[in-house]
Amino acid sequence: MNQPTPIQSDLARAEQTLRLLAAMPAPEGLEARMHAALKAAPAHGNVLAWPTAGGQMRSWIRGAAVAAIVGVIAGGSWGVYSRVQPAEPQRAVEMPRVTGSGSFSNAGAMRTPQTLDAPLAPPADAAQPSASDQAKPQPAAKTTAHATAAKHKHAQTR
Amino acid sequence: MSASQSVFAGWMEIAPGAVRDQTRQHDQQAALAALVDEYASTLYRVAFSVLRNTADAEDAVQEAFLRVLRHRDTLDEVRDHRVWLIRIVWNIVLDRKRRAKTRPETDDIADLARVLPAVGLSAEQRAAAQQHHTRVLTCVEQLPDKEREVMLLSAFEELSSVEIAEVLGLTESSVRSRLFRARNLLADLLGHARGVK
Repeated sequence: MNQPTPIQSDLARAEQTLRLLAAMPAPEGLEARMHAALKAAPAHGNVLAWPTAGGQMRSWIRGAAVAAIVGVIAGGSWGVYSRVQPAEPQRAVEMPRVTGSGSFSNAGAMRTPQTLDAPLAPPADAAQPSASDQAKPQPAAKTTAHATAAKHKHAQTR
Repeated sequence: MSASQSVFAGWMEIAPGAVRDQTRQHDQQAALAALVDEYASTLYRVAFSVLRNTADAEDAVQEAFLRVLRHRDTLDEVRDHRVWLIRIVWNIVLDRKRRAKTRPETDDIADLARVLPAVGLSAEQRAAAQQHHTRVLTCVEQLPDKEREVMLLSAFEELSSVEIAEVLGLTESSVRSRLFRARNLLADLLGHARGVK
């Protein structure tokens, strides 16, 4: 006959421990406490039976009750609907000013133009050419322009 | 008798249907009381094997019966009341244990090892048995949830593998394979614990 290995005997002893745990006796009076808890628990609400058996409630009464309920609901709904008017939508919506992203707003400040001294015109006597100015040679571009105009005039007369 | 009087008389009378309802309710209460008498201790032991606390286990059993009270209309449809009740209490205790996972397990195990019966043993033997129980329960705690659950339920002699499968909502073959895995894992853990010791 095979001898059980130490592991097998360990396992058997472990299962014995679990069986002891499973066989732990229940405390005394457990059933009585359960009965008491079930009695104290709220039962289902008792609903009155609809007395149709025996035909005491006639169908016209039921119909009238239904009609009255429907009338009350419809009247109430109409009353609410007729009093509550939908608000007119706004014609224009002022949008918030959006500044450029990542920059500071100007905080309502007006832009002021540059107020430094403007360039001044030369004095009036500077417009009269002086003798020294006349002695100066004319610029080359101006001379060629005069020469071209004289050429044109000569061709037209011929 | 005017029409209105006859209508009010209709409300005042006890309808035959109400009498039938009362009789049915009485029968259901009697059936529930019989279930309490028959299975309360079994349910308590199942609850205790997981929760390891007397008050918690009793609360779980009470909650299970209150659930049955709420659904007493379905009592007639239940095929096996014992397995059905064990399944209810099993789900309750697992839910409670999940919620109370913050509590350290080691204290519970030490307390439990002290509580386990050790009749006819000397003080020395009792101390050794306590050590052994503590070691086993610590190893069982280290098993994966699925394997641990099967292992704990298999310790109940009144539960066959088919009934364990019904409680856990598994097939019988799954229960057998999980139990096989659980035993192997537990043997490894015990061997490791012995080597460490």
